[in-house]
Amino acid sequence: MPDLENEIRNMIAEIVEKDPAQVTLDAKFFEELGMDSMMALEIMAGMEKKYKITIPEEKLTKLTTLRETVAVAKEYLEKNNV
Amino acid sequence: MFNIEEIQKILPQKFPFLMLDRVLELEAGKKIVALKNISINESFFAGHFPGQPVMPGVLIIEAMAQAAIIMFYAPGSIPAAKQASYYLGSVKIRFQHPVTAGDQLRIEVEPIKVISGAGLVKAKASAGGREVASGELSFSVQYG
Repeated sequence: MPDLENEIRNMIAEIVEKDPAQVTLDAKFFEELGMDSMMALEIMAGMEKKYKITIPEEKLTKLTTLRETVAVAKEYLEKNNV
Repeated sequence: MFNIEEIQKILPQKFPFLMLDRVLELEAGKKIVALKNISINESFFAGHFPGQPVMPGVLIIEAMAQAAIIMFYAPGSIPAAKQASYYLGSVKIRFQHPVTAGDQLRIEVEPIKVISGAGLVKAKASAGGREVASGELSFSVQYG
């Protein structure tokens, strides 16, 4: 789902105030993109709103790279479509 | 719902930094509607601006943040004032119209996403039935 990846990349880039090109699949949010826990919460809430899903709190610690974040979004999108 | 005496018991903020006068509606953790009356005697009007009173936008944000604190305060729990510290994380607010003396600021706050120790809320302020500011605030809570 390249669209999902790009949509989430753009959302993350806006929240961390970086160029989307810097948000590579494996760039580490906290170490490389200067993210903090409040920004992670914003990303979680942003995905919930955009995709009309509910992501449980314990998944917050999974949001460490774009790859992981897209995987979390996919997991809950699939659950919703069952 | 809550008058000023009760607001003062809940909020850690004190004079001259109480930005709410009354709580009209409260569903703990779900929604709050609160009021702040803006008088020409507000101390900030002395400098903001001489001869042209405009309520500073940051104080509208503060009123929204204080409303959020009360929204997350569950009646019957330990008073928020003694047990928790609240820190704003980020603010995304758009201001539409200036607020001046004589206005009654109506603040509405609803949660977007709340987890233990942090939250993201949607906030709106209106005066005279017209929206004056709206957007989102995130904050963290530290206990003890």
